[in-house]
Amino acid sequence: MDIYKELTQGKGYAVVQIEDMKIFKELRDSFIEKLNISNNSKNDINFVREKIAKMSKAEVNQCMIDLLKFNNLSEMIINSCPKLVESLCGKELFIQRRATIVMNVPGEGQAKQWPHYELMSGISPFTYVIWAPLHDLEENSGVYYIDQKQSLEIMKKEQETGIVNGPTVLNMMSEKKPEQLNFGQAIVFNPFVLHGNIAFNSKLARVAYNVRFQSCNKPLLQKNSDYLKYYQLN
Amino acid sequence: MTAATITTDINIGPFKIPSNGQNMIMNNYAQRNNLTVELVIPEPMMSQALATVQWIHKERKLTKVILSSIHQLPVEGDRINELLKNMEDVEFHFALEGISGKGKTFLMKIVKEAKIFMNSQNIESTKTNWLDLHKTMKNL
Repeated sequence: MDIYKELTQGKGYAVVQIEDMKIFKELRDSFIEKLNISNNSKNDINFVREKIAKMSKAEVNQCMIDLLKFNNLSEMIINSCPKLVESLCGKELFIQRRATIVMNVPGEGQAKQWPHYELMSGISPFTYVIWAPLHDLEENSGVYYIDQKQSLEIMKKEQETGIVNGPTVLNMMSEKKPEQLNFGQAIVFNPFVLHGNIAFNSKLARVAYNVRFQSCNKPLLQKNSDYLKYYQLN
Repeated sequence: MTAATITTDINIGPFKIPSNGQNMIMNNYAQRNNLTVELVIPEPMMSQALATVQWIHKERKLTKVILSSIHQLPVEGDRINELLKNMEDVEFHFALEGISGKGKTFLMKIVKEAKIFMNSQNIESTKTNWLDLHKTMKNL
């Protein structure tokens, strides 16, 4: 099954290989450089991860605010997977104005991401998301995905009760198995697939990015120029 | 002169933002970007010309202006040209989009982007539901 069919008719998500590893490595190096937490950490993602793992929640938050200066991240991600993006959405796109880098600190007391689907934020149903770690993932430190069929059953139940993100969804957090990805792999998924992450044990933090994109010829929902920008693939 | 904030009609492209909300958005942007606001300019409702700003600029020589969104720029050709002629040397900031710059090339690029968004189709979220949105995705 091709990726488009897998995303729209199948599981709703798929593991893919990053197409341009040169751009992807530049992206990782830019992240390390912009984070600026060590004078000798150039190209050493694990050194940075170790430092992040020891940070307080406020320090992690400040780092994420500082990373807002990484204003060409979205383009770098899109350009690292151009064939995939074009096959799903064509060349004329709306892409997330500021892609997100998420740093997850290990340990039970740390923030977990409850199951959610991306559509909840108001992005268009024609949006796709690319999520990728900046290093090999350790066990349980990735994101788990609930296939489209099951996600829709839950969505249907919630729609009947008129509650979004109610107890049915929140009680799904236990016993989920995150996808195991290596550096150079990514997950692409549609905005209807429930996903989240669980606490994990490691000495190193998890660092991953995600970006949302859609064809500029497809309708928008609630997100507009506040969140998206026009972008043309080369 | 440091920066002036500009409030406009509540209807801003796809958004509906009351003027006190616009002020909150712009003041927060100014704070995050170390800009000091010295002047607050209210444009009249039902006008998309930024005419008030332009005549104040003649008097006060503004260097930086902050708007809530790119959708507050004029859309009609003559009005855009007038703005470019009078305010080419002014640095424009757009708070919601988080972008800034100055000069004709920059402003024309922003106007073009605003037009692309305005010409896009929109799904009215009050007239749909989760499952219909899924069907829409699957069927197109």
